[in-house]
Amino acid sequence: MQPNLIKSAGVAWTILYAVFVVWIYATAPRTFTEATTGASVVAGTYAIDEARFRAARELFGREQYAAARDEWSRADPAARDARTQFYIAYAFYREGWGRVYNDDALFKQGLEAIERAIRLSPEGALAVDDPELKIRSAAELKAELQQGTESSLGDFDPLKIVRERK
Amino acid sequence: MKNHRDSNRLLVRHLLLPTIFLTVALTGGLRVAAESGAFLFIAPPLVALVLSVLVMLLFARGGLVNLRAWFAGDHSPVTNVSHALTLLALFFASAQAFNSVLPERGLFRWMFAFFFLWTLWNNQFAAFEPRRLLRSLAALFGTAFVLKHMLLASLYAPEGGWLKQLAGALLEGFTQGTLGAAESFAPSTGYISFFTLALYVLGLVLVPPAPEIDDNDAAPGREAGSLVTRYGQLSPEERALLRTEILRTERGRLEDEIHATRTD
Repeated sequence: MQPNLIKSAGVAWTILYAVFVVWIYATAPRTFTEATTGASVVAGTYAIDEARFRAARELFGREQYAAARDEWSRADPAARDARTQFYIAYAFYREGWGRVYNDDALFKQGLEAIERAIRLSPEGALAVDDPELKIRSAAELKAELQQGTESSLGDFDPLKIVRERK
Repeated sequence: MKNHRDSNRLLVRHLLLPTIFLTVALTGGLRVAAESGAFLFIAPPLVALVLSVLVMLLFARGGLVNLRAWFAGDHSPVTNVSHALTLLALFFASAQAFNSVLPERGLFRWMFAFFFLWTLWNNQFAAFEPRRLLRSLAALFGTAFVLKHMLLASLYAPEGGWLKQLAGALLEGFTQGTLGAAESFAPSTGYISFFTLALYVLGLVLVPPAPEIDDNDAAPGREAGSLVTRYGQLSPEERALLRTEILRTERGRLEDEIHATRTD
């Protein structure tokens, strides 16, 4: 074997392996599954589990929001899919919405999820083509969630109880 | 035959050694949580980096790594880059090897760090040759491993006998919890640490003090120079043995050469 070939291969391999070690320490995966998911994200081969996504959508339709979120989290373990994160945020919104008052903790988690979705979508604009949803754009859902967590004089409006959930 | 030997040497030096040291760097900070079984990656603390600097100095002083032979203007650039990466990997492997045997917190951590510092600092002024240095380091890491992963782990093990648990509780009680050995790691952490240290010592055994001259880097007289360098790294007993062997096999030729020189 050519000495120069061995040396060049050695240098390339050492750099690659060193980058892998640094990446492992930077991401600190807690399980082998997390490590392999992270590796597939880096390699660009990451894809969500469509079957789980559909199952979660069905649960969402039956108003089983916590179960739907759980299933969507399993479908997108690395939280890298904008559409899935949008649905997770929507599930937080639906569950947290109240005719008299909203659940701030759920709305805050919803805000985190929708911000993730916006970050992941190209140019920050995300629209979901789902006829059963009343809010179809990420920006609109974010505004709804933000409004729900803020306190204003409108919170004391008695007519508030006749508003409808989106 | 020589080609195979040379290829194998190159493979060890440029591929196997960095792989071994980077694997040590990877597993040295790996712990497994006792309750969840989750991986915890602990980056090398500052004290481990300081200890690693000391141990690298010791390698250079003890002749385990002859820097002049590892880096030279006569080497091809790719050889120098490869050697630099290998030594960098050795530095981080050393830091993570210390990280692997240092308790995570509390008084024990500082006691271990202090004893490591003390030993390595003293060794800087001792006369070492590579083999003795290797044995000394293997003993140092072996002792720390036994103390951390066997003695301390056994003292604080929840499934230990009542006497052990009582001793652990008393130790923590007397020191108001500052000993900090009650770490909740799974027993597999000890196995990982053992594997890490074994791999580290194996890597050190494979490190050539002065890398052989590659065919394309070879210059006349370089091999003889390298042999003289390596001769200087031998212990007095080994040098005497080598001289006896050379005299035994080369006596006739040496006498002829001396005779020829005198006649000239």
